Amino acid sequence: MPTESLASTGTPRPSLFQRWSDGLTGWALVGPGALLILIFGGLPVLMSLTLSFQKSDLLTADAPWVGFENYRKLATDPLFVEAIKHTLVYTALFVPGTMLVGLLVAVAMNRSLRFISVYRSAAYLTMAVSTISQGIIFMWLTDQNYGLVNAALNTVGIESQPFLSSPSQALYVIVAMTIWGWTGFAVIIYLAALQAVPVELHEAAAVDGASRLTRFRTITVPLLGPANLFLLVWLSINALQLFDEVYLTTRGGPLRATSVIVYYLWDQAFVQFNAGYAAAMAYALFVVVVIITALQFRITRKYVHNA
Amino acid sequence: MIRSRLVIALAAVAALLLASCGGKAGNASGPTEIAVWNGFTDASATNFAALIDRYNKDHPDVRVTQLMTSNDLVLQKVLTAVRGGSPPDIAYMYGSWAPNIAEIPTVTDLSGYVSQPGWNWDDFYPAERAAATVGDKVVGVPALVDNLAVVYNKSLFAEAGIAPPTKDWTWNDFRTAAAKLTNSKGQYGTLISGDGSEDTVWHYLPMLWGAGGDILSPDNQRAVFNSAAGVRALTTLQQMAVTDKSIYVDATNANGVNLMNSGKIGMLVTGPWDLPSFTDIEYGVQVLPAYPGSDEGHQTISGPDNWVIFNNGGERQKAALDFVKWITAAPQIQSTSAATGELPTRTSVGQDPALVAELTQKVPGTETFIENLSNVKKARPTVPQYPTISQALGQAIVSVLLGTAQPADALNTAAQAADAALAGK
Repeated sequence: MPTESLASTGTPRPSLFQRWSDGLTGWALVGPGALLILIFGGLPVLMSLTLSFQKSDLLTADAPWVGFENYRKLATDPLFVEAIKHTLVYTALFVPGTMLVGLLVAVAMNRSLRFISVYRSAAYLTMAVSTISQGIIFMWLTDQNYGLVNAALNTVGIESQPFLSSPSQALYVIVAMTIWGWTGFAVIIYLAALQAVPVELHEAAAVDGASRLTRFRTITVPLLGPANLFLLVWLSINALQLFDEVYLTTRGGPLRATSVIVYYLWDQAFVQFNAGYAAAMAYALFVVVVIITALQFRITRKYVHNA
Repeated sequence: MIRSRLVIALAAVAALLLASCGGKAGNASGPTEIAVWNGFTDASATNFAALIDRYNKDHPDVRVTQLMTSNDLVLQKVLTAVRGGSPPDIAYMYGSWAPNIAEIPTVTDLSGYVSQPGWNWDDFYPAERAAATVGDKVVGVPALVDNLAVVYNKSLFAEAGIAPPTKDWTWNDFRTAAAKLTNSKGQYGTLISGDGSEDTVWHYLPMLWGAGGDILSPDNQRAVFNSAAGVRALTTLQQMAVTDKSIYVDATNANGVNLMNSGKIGMLVTGPWDLPSFTDIEYGVQVLPAYPGSDEGHQTISGPDNWVIFNNGGERQKAALDFVKWITAAPQIQSTSAATGELPTRTSVGQDPALVAELTQKVPGTETFIENLSNVKKARPTVPQYPTISQALGQAIVSVLLGTAQPADALNTAAQAADAALAGK
């Protein structure tokens, strides 16, 4: 608060009017922004909370209050349980996968090479590709009959795979596709963290005879803690809300094999017109995200230096 | 004091912001403004813009504006706008949404209008009228009509040494041809969308109807697609997908047109909208096959889309009605068809030999699609539960196509889900 900064400069305690005026200035400065956030962020959140206690199709004004009925239905809806399973499998593969690939690429790029900035831009480029282009490219690449991936597999004597057309493979194709898409993001974060690792520590350890691998394991990896935590939380939150890629490529199929929570939610709200039920699902997801994020903070805190 | 002046200035900014949020752009004088939401692209968009210009010039008291949107997403946007209290005046909406649209209170029930002289309601094809009618309400005016027929690659038929499809084809002939058109070089007899969406379902429905089946009982109370006819139709697909492997099951529903155009697919069951994309092949068009022993003949399905009118007050509603009446009148249908190659939505225009010849000359095969409009004998039930029923049926079809279920079992499971939805769960 401004009062503290005034006090710390050693000037005499300001008058009540001045303090009041300072406070008001502060509020006036954050006011418009806060107001917009409240209107466009806070209000819909509250409205969808009410919606989750109603039976509403969004079409008619008539939306009877049903209490916890929507939430009760969630617990017994096998399709919702399936969607949760798919979401968890996806998250469990996507988050570590992206972090691992991102770390490997970042380590490979954390050195002075000719044209290194070209390589770094190339790695980040995956973030600049729109989800739609990404989806279309991967659909072509993994096409069951004419895709490049199958052509490559065929040349080494492996049979063509159905990929997105197969209920047992489609989810993994989406995992691969999104890892590819998010790698650039992880690379940037890791690269920044790697460059912040003090050179002296490595030099000192090298003098003591530590091998490169040992130095990486005992110096670099622990210092990457904050970056790891950030990526873990950020990627998990995104993974739990997977939608675009599924909508674009498989529409939740084949046979609902890629129906994740947000896709199922969208389907309920805008295809089947069960908006109240979908809102309840959104709140359930919100609670899950909060719990998982809190757990991640708690568990990783003791392993993270400088966090 | 500078600081307190800042406070006042910021407060003023905030007040202005609030005022502009709640502002209304209504003015008593000047032309009545109405907005049309549509997802036209290419030739259709150019044609529609020209129509609006013409209308605005001839009607100085009305100003029609348009908002471009995606046809797939328009329902979502309209729902949001309806909740926000600012729906469009007119929106182009898919016919399959009609029963759900009927529940929106601000949607104008047109039953009292279209019966008046001047609308020539009976001139629209029966399937279009059926799709726009929900119970005793009329929720829209036909905006576009199409249907499904067999588009086939003439050179692939010649290469395989088989005669092209005829008007008397049975689904067995279709299957035999598909098998012969399939080879180890990655060529398939035919292709079906395998995403389980309405796109999958509506390719199955003409087969179901052709075999003598139906989706729901006449009173719309229960599902009957799991009849012997339903199983027969789905078995045809199963034989091609699982036994012959002559169907490319397109799980992503994105490849059909490209594969057909690059000569990888022998026959594609599709509508007239795809014809202009087949620039690299020589194609022919034939009506859908029939089932021997069934009286239903060569059925097809039409997915007519509608102009839906929202009630934004008497004056705007009247302006919207007048505009829709004008763009769906015979002369405008005629010019739209000629400019865009779309099938005419009115019988009188569809029977105009000069127009049919002109369309067919521009896009070969259009003639067959126009004739095929008379093979549209049934429409999807206009019940609000249709999206749920379609989804259950779609999953059943895909599970059979992928070989994970038998037709009868899959249809029975879907029928149970449909019955539950119809009973209100």
